[in-house]
Amino acid sequence: MDITTLNLKDNYYYQQWQNLVQNEGLVIENLADITETLGIYDGDKLIATGSYFENVLKYLAIDPDYQGGNTFNKIVSTLINELAAQNVFHIFVFTKPKYKKSFEYLGFQIIAETEFSALLETGDYSIGQYIKSLPKVTGQNISAIVMNANPFTLGHRYLVEQASKQSDYVYLFVVNQDASLFTTQERIDLIKQGVADLGNVIVVSGDQYMVSFVTFPAYFIKSRADVAKYQTQLDAKVFKRVASALHINRRFVGNEPYSPTTEIYNRSMKQILPPEISLDILDRKAIDNDIISATKVRKAIQESNLEAVQKYVPETTFKFIKNNLPVLLRRIHNGN
Amino acid sequence: MEIKHTALAGTLESSDIQFTLSKGTGVEINLDSQVEKQFGKQIKKVITDLLSEYGIENVNVRAVDKGALDCTIKARLIAAIQRATDTQNQPNWEVLG
Repeated sequence: MDITTLNLKDNYYYQQWQNLVQNEGLVIENLADITETLGIYDGDKLIATGSYFENVLKYLAIDPDYQGGNTFNKIVSTLINELAAQNVFHIFVFTKPKYKKSFEYLGFQIIAETEFSALLETGDYSIGQYIKSLPKVTGQNISAIVMNANPFTLGHRYLVEQASKQSDYVYLFVVNQDASLFTTQERIDLIKQGVADLGNVIVVSGDQYMVSFVTFPAYFIKSRADVAKYQTQLDAKVFKRVASALHINRRFVGNEPYSPTTEIYNRSMKQILPPEISLDILDRKAIDNDIISATKVRKAIQESNLEAVQKYVPETTFKFIKNNLPVLLRRIHNGN
Repeated sequence: MEIKHTALAGTLESSDIQFTLSKGTGVEINLDSQVEKQFGKQIKKVITDLLSEYGIENVNVRAVDKGALDCTIKARLIAAIQRATDTQNQPNWEVLG
């Protein structure tokens, strides 16, 4: 029984793969979120498969007649080696709770779990090391904000100001995923510049544990509502784990009149975070009844309308956009 | 010798062991094995002996054991060390002999 790479663009392989994956009760979302797929055959029959996207294992399925043997170990092990050959050693898997044990048996460690899904990791880094790397503070009221800030607007500024006023310290976790118009480094820099005058705000990277392709792929890839629901619940659980280690007892978020995914996210947090962490959902800041949003800023950039950009962002962000307009336009043109 | 980057060797199949070596301070071994109670000490000894033969003093070793024999443990660890130290093309004959 040899392992081969499956070319899912070929209908013959796709049909076999789809049957196996769907028989195991997995929902196929989008082939764009698969980098490579491996399969094991017994004769002409596909009996096991597994895929990965970046450093996340996905769509692991084994024919019921072959479960419980070495097949599972073989497919997971081959995926790990395949990623190692690309210098990827820190690997996640997003799976059903019933498979948790099978992964733990292969050295994976649980990060968080809900009744619908479990997130595990293995390799040369862990959530424990991430937590250890974060600066620690002491206080009665420690809050947190998680933001992508693509880019940092006056709306973000308002949210941070409110949190800053009402807390001893505010951890500002920046989404660390280069899937936005502004790169992670640019977003971090603009946030740091934009909150520099607020002494109790600590800007840190959310690493792969806060709203990343790992915890919350639906944030970046259009997905069905139920998918977003179980992902956001898991993301909220991961947040809770990090937050409890830092004694965070409050989280501030902006309400989201435009994005259904963010709306689902806020609902999941309301369900998962209390009582240890209270959730403050603030109304978005508006200028003359015009709600500030990063989406509007990006649209204004696309139209090269600097006047509109200036209306929504602090001076620091504006300067950056003005100085880098050709680069940003090029990125939009290239489909970022 | 120094660990230059993370490296992996071995598989998770029966009778094998998978090593992930990464940079660390001091020697830290994280062993995952179903036979840890019976053979954990012996497995760790094979690992520490081999590391000291290579003169590696700072490393994080993550080992997921699936019932590997000592010779397999050694072979996999040597492969991981040589990869992590970028010395795949310079086998250490003294250790191998």
